[in-house]
Amino acid sequence: MARGGASMSMFINYEHENHVYPITVERRDNQFFITYDNNEYTLTATEVQPGHLSLQLGDRKFKCVISEGEDSKFVFIDGSVFPVKRIELTGRKKTEKKEGDLNSPISGTVVSVKIKEGSRVKKNDVLLVIEAMKMEYLIRAPYNGKITKLYFKQKDQIEIGQLTAEIEKEEE
Amino acid sequence: MEVIESTVDTQGKEFKENFTYYEKLVKDLKEKIQVASEGGGAEPIKLHKSRNKLLVRERIDALLDPETPFMEFNTLAAYDMFDNKAPCAGIVTGIGIIHGREVMIVANDATVTGGTYYPITVKKHLRAQEIAMENNLPCIYLVDSGGAFLPMQDEVFPDREHFGRIFYNQAKMSSMEIPQISVVMGSCTAGGAYVPAMSDETIIVKGTGTIFLGGPPLVKAATGEEVTAEELGGADVHCRESGVADHYALDDHDAIRITRNIVENLNRQEKTHLDIKKPEEPAYDIKEIYGVIPKDSRKPFEVREIIARIVDGSRFHEFKALYGTTLITGFARIMGYPVGILANNGVLFSESALKGTHFIEVCCQRRLPLVFLQNITGFMVGRKYESGGIAKDGAKMVTAVTCAQVPKFTVIIGGSFGAGNYGMCGRAYGPRQLWMWPNARISVMGGQQAATVLLTVKRDQLWRKGREMTKKEEKELTDPILKKYEVEGNPYYSTARIWDDGVIDPVDTRLVLGLGISASLNAQIPYWKPGVFRM
Repeated sequence: MARGGASMSMFINYEHENHVYPITVERRDNQFFITYDNNEYTLTATEVQPGHLSLQLGDRKFKCVISEGEDSKFVFIDGSVFPVKRIELTGRKKTEKKEGDLNSPISGTVVSVKIKEGSRVKKNDVLLVIEAMKMEYLIRAPYNGKITKLYFKQKDQIEIGQLTAEIEKEEE
Repeated sequence: MEVIESTVDTQGKEFKENFTYYEKLVKDLKEKIQVASEGGGAEPIKLHKSRNKLLVRERIDALLDPETPFMEFNTLAAYDMFDNKAPCAGIVTGIGIIHGREVMIVANDATVTGGTYYPITVKKHLRAQEIAMENNLPCIYLVDSGGAFLPMQDEVFPDREHFGRIFYNQAKMSSMEIPQISVVMGSCTAGGAYVPAMSDETIIVKGTGTIFLGGPPLVKAATGEEVTAEELGGADVHCRESGVADHYALDDHDAIRITRNIVENLNRQEKTHLDIKKPEEPAYDIKEIYGVIPKDSRKPFEVREIIARIVDGSRFHEFKALYGTTLITGFARIMGYPVGILANNGVLFSESALKGTHFIEVCCQRRLPLVFLQNITGFMVGRKYESGGIAKDGAKMVTAVTCAQVPKFTVIIGGSFGAGNYGMCGRAYGPRQLWMWPNARISVMGGQQAATVLLTVKRDQLWRKGREMTKKEEKELTDPILKKYEVEGNPYYSTARIWDDGVIDPVDTRLVLGLGISASLNAQIPYWKPGVFRM
């Protein structure tokens, strides 16, 4: 519904050898305007082939190769290797995704039961489907295991917070 | 401010399936917009051009500052209505920029049934004026219209929100110091003649622009006088003799040049101050929204994943994160503008409604624009909740939303059902703009629920007469209801009737919200004065 766009500017923190480099990058085509420590740098970058960059910073021209590691990047310039990592300084520490909850999130009707007592389930398997207020809520297995108790059958009414089933945890 | 941590698995099967499905929805949307933007079709376009006139979109393009955005409203108005004979409802409206100032453009498309006003055309014109009035935007009418669409006169002429309201609004806005400027680039017949006549300043194009209360055929019928359109109400008559128009333009381009000059000299006041920062793109790809929204609209989704892809730097300062968790509230920036966001993350309970009310109060005190991300199947029902007073808690939220004096913006990103629509600033609650995503659904309740309610009522009636319903009778009752709700809950059904300001690609959400907030700053934010909150 709209034409035109906006300039893109990003604030990134890079970590290299236990030092954090907060930089701002603004991109216009293959030109990058980089601010670090109150200094501005204009960098021209062309990707010659995937991972291979041809760079120009002021009068200096050089080539670099970037390879992706597990959680950091390795930048090869003039025979040296710089491992860098993008980090979030202020961000919440990566919270463990909340383990699947076996309690019903809402009052409603059990519309489908995918398991029996004694069934073996894998983490994230759907155990029950509860319908309420036009939506379907899935109860998923929080971990691999065996169903020891099942409290509801199809068409049962269920209240918010009621436990749907119990699982005996098994090692992966 | 903290960056929202995304937990979406963008490589997962579900994400990819959702993504492919949503891409189709967006493709379909773009095709529909493309068709509607083409106007009345090849034949009338040829005729229009043969008269040395620019097409409506060419006129707008030439009028606005180069390389600036045009926020168009309701391109799909009248979609699938009037035998599809009124694409775009025959009128283009939107906010554009002239000499750095935001203005409202209302432009007739003469290739669509001579630019005449269908019922939805009137509604679209009035909605554009309403937006102009609320946001204090100068109005520029590019007039090229034969007036009311006569075969439907009963739906365009007599009522309060019909044709006459256009001129009422012009006089009102003029009195509110909102400039009204007309550019007569084609016919302005009968009622249509009042658009230029009611304007502060009017331009007329020589040879094509005409203004008269009765056209040549009517004059002949009434008095026997034979006269050409140009003699009756052309540029020479109105600029040299009658004084109905002020500026004489040689052609469309000349008229646009004069219009830009007029806007340049309007002496508009400064915009309202907000603490604006440099815009920053979200840390996550906006397009990932396609994969976050489940293909099946009955499946809930985590709305923080949506917020993360709409706000600047994906930074979000959440308010009352642990309370009333089915409504997410918090502070963020969109295109550099500070906003308060309310987003549904499940059914509304009493606690979520109270939290929403509290948050809106805070934003009103701080004069922060509000953004509602609406995906709501309603307030929770059931004995426990009714006795807990969910009706009065919902009412508090509705009161807060209604009385919020700050600019409000609503995006329907999923379902919009029942009273949830009210609490989350539906159309009736006066958001400055209301947008829909192509996956959205809107109705008083779900089709299945409506069918069940009606079925129960019918079954009880028959039971009192000592009869029972057969399976076949049940099906005959429920099937048409399910079908009706499916058709009418569709976003295209909504946008055709201007229940919203347009269906947008989720990727454009930041941009339209940013433009909307920017435009809203042309008006002052008044003092906050809420109503009674039932305790």
